[in-house]
Amino acid sequence: MSKQKQRTYEGESDISVENADMIICRCQEVTLKEIVQAIAEGATTVNEIKRRTRAGMGLCQGKSCSILVRKILAEHTGQKFAKVMPGTSRPPVRPIALSTLASLEDDTDGKS
Amino acid sequence: MANPDVVIIGGGIIGCSCAYYLAKESLKVALVEKDSICSEASKSCQGHLFLWELPAINIKLAKASKKLYEQLYNELDIDFELRSTGSMSIAEKPEDLGTLQQTLNELRQAGVECQLLDAKEFIKAEPNVARDIGGGAFFPEDGQLNPLLTTIALAQAAKKLGADIRPFTEVTDIELSADKSSVVAVETTKGKISTKYVVNAAGVWSGQIGQMVGINIPVVPRRGNLIVTEQVPDNIINCQVIIASGYLDSLKGESKVAVAANVQQTRECNLLLGSSREFTGFDKNVNPEVISLIAKRCIRFFPVLAELNTIRSWAGLRPYSPDMLPIISSSPIEGFYVASGHEGVGITMGPITGKLITQLITKQQLDLAVDQLSLERFAEKQ
Repeated sequence: MSKQKQRTYEGESDISVENADMIICRCQEVTLKEIVQAIAEGATTVNEIKRRTRAGMGLCQGKSCSILVRKILAEHTGQKFAKVMPGTSRPPVRPIALSTLASLEDDTDGKS
Repeated sequence: MANPDVVIIGGGIIGCSCAYYLAKESLKVALVEKDSICSEASKSCQGHLFLWELPAINIKLAKASKKLYEQLYNELDIDFELRSTGSMSIAEKPEDLGTLQQTLNELRQAGVECQLLDAKEFIKAEPNVARDIGGGAFFPEDGQLNPLLTTIALAQAAKKLGADIRPFTEVTDIELSADKSSVVAVETTKGKISTKYVVNAAGVWSGQIGQMVGINIPVVPRRGNLIVTEQVPDNIINCQVIIASGYLDSLKGESKVAVAANVQQTRECNLLLGSSREFTGFDKNVNPEVISLIAKRCIRFFPVLAELNTIRSWAGLRPYSPDMLPIISSSPIEGFYVASGHEGVGITMGPITGKLITQLITKQQLDLAVDQLSLERFAEKQ
């Protein structure tokens, strides 16, 4: 297993309380401490952590932090990593201009 | 908690408000939710507080609820981003201004503060609005909040007051007394809970819960799609809640798909772009055609939005009642109460609904008469 895989999936990680100020969600600058607090307050899923902390609500929509959040959840709730589901994904898969969305269906003019 | 006084079904804004106000009256409360707290309509919305939706009863409820939110903002532990933003409504064409003026006159009689703005005044207030609009209105009493944090804050506060909050617990049946006159227990996927009172706050599923006790609750899902942009500067729009005046028409149940421009900026500076109304059953998929229409309508009123990055779109289901009034009601079954059918005003009316249900159960003087909101109104029409 590559070093990167070890770090993010099953291997040793720096996700420990000593690194409480570590940024987990880079888009929204959510720290490990905030995520652990959300879990302490009852969050048991990635979606619940997102609603409380905004982790995964930013520009990348959780592409960077989702695995880390799942790993933290697994560690703090005693679940297996594989059992912790990712948050809900919704379109678009990457940021696109509103004008692009507006031009999706050029034949629907006047329906509103 | 072995034997609660009340079992609330549903962990959205309505259920969590009920839990909070009931627990505050020292009742033993259990709240059951089939998913997580704030996982359906309450998490799918924009979070505006509109204090001008007729009929008069709606305006009374909204005003009372806004006052309660102001108290809750001091009472609850979580900062749920409540802001008195006011809201603006755009009249698309100069000839729409007359109709808008008439509506404002009606609203003033119902006690709503509002101002008519001509095109010049509107453009001065919102320099990024399209230059060809007819004008608009300003509603200074309106506001905004973060619906996710508000719902969670209410659940958390209820828990602190002793409420037993049980997510991932789905109701499978409701047990009645032998003569079928009163509730006895709620059956769930995680066991049976004996109780004297049940509050059906199950939103779009409240009809199914009603069937468990043989009561017809005519609430159906009405889908809404939303788009969110990246975080952007706070001067693209100055008033953080702006809708096009077609919004009122979109509320009416006649058309299958209704789209109205609805541009709101959250305290975290994302723009939430809506809104749509569709009857498509329980399907929560995003409708690309509707998303595209929303995008078009928002750009039509704010051309500057065209180049902003959108990062997500989603859809949620509003609990629609056939007369667009919420149901805040006791029922023919003793101990069975209904708090549902709020459609798009669940967030606006959450706290007052929780308070009224609490007053109904504890037989206290009601803050507002709820006769018009009774389940009986549907029976009479049958």
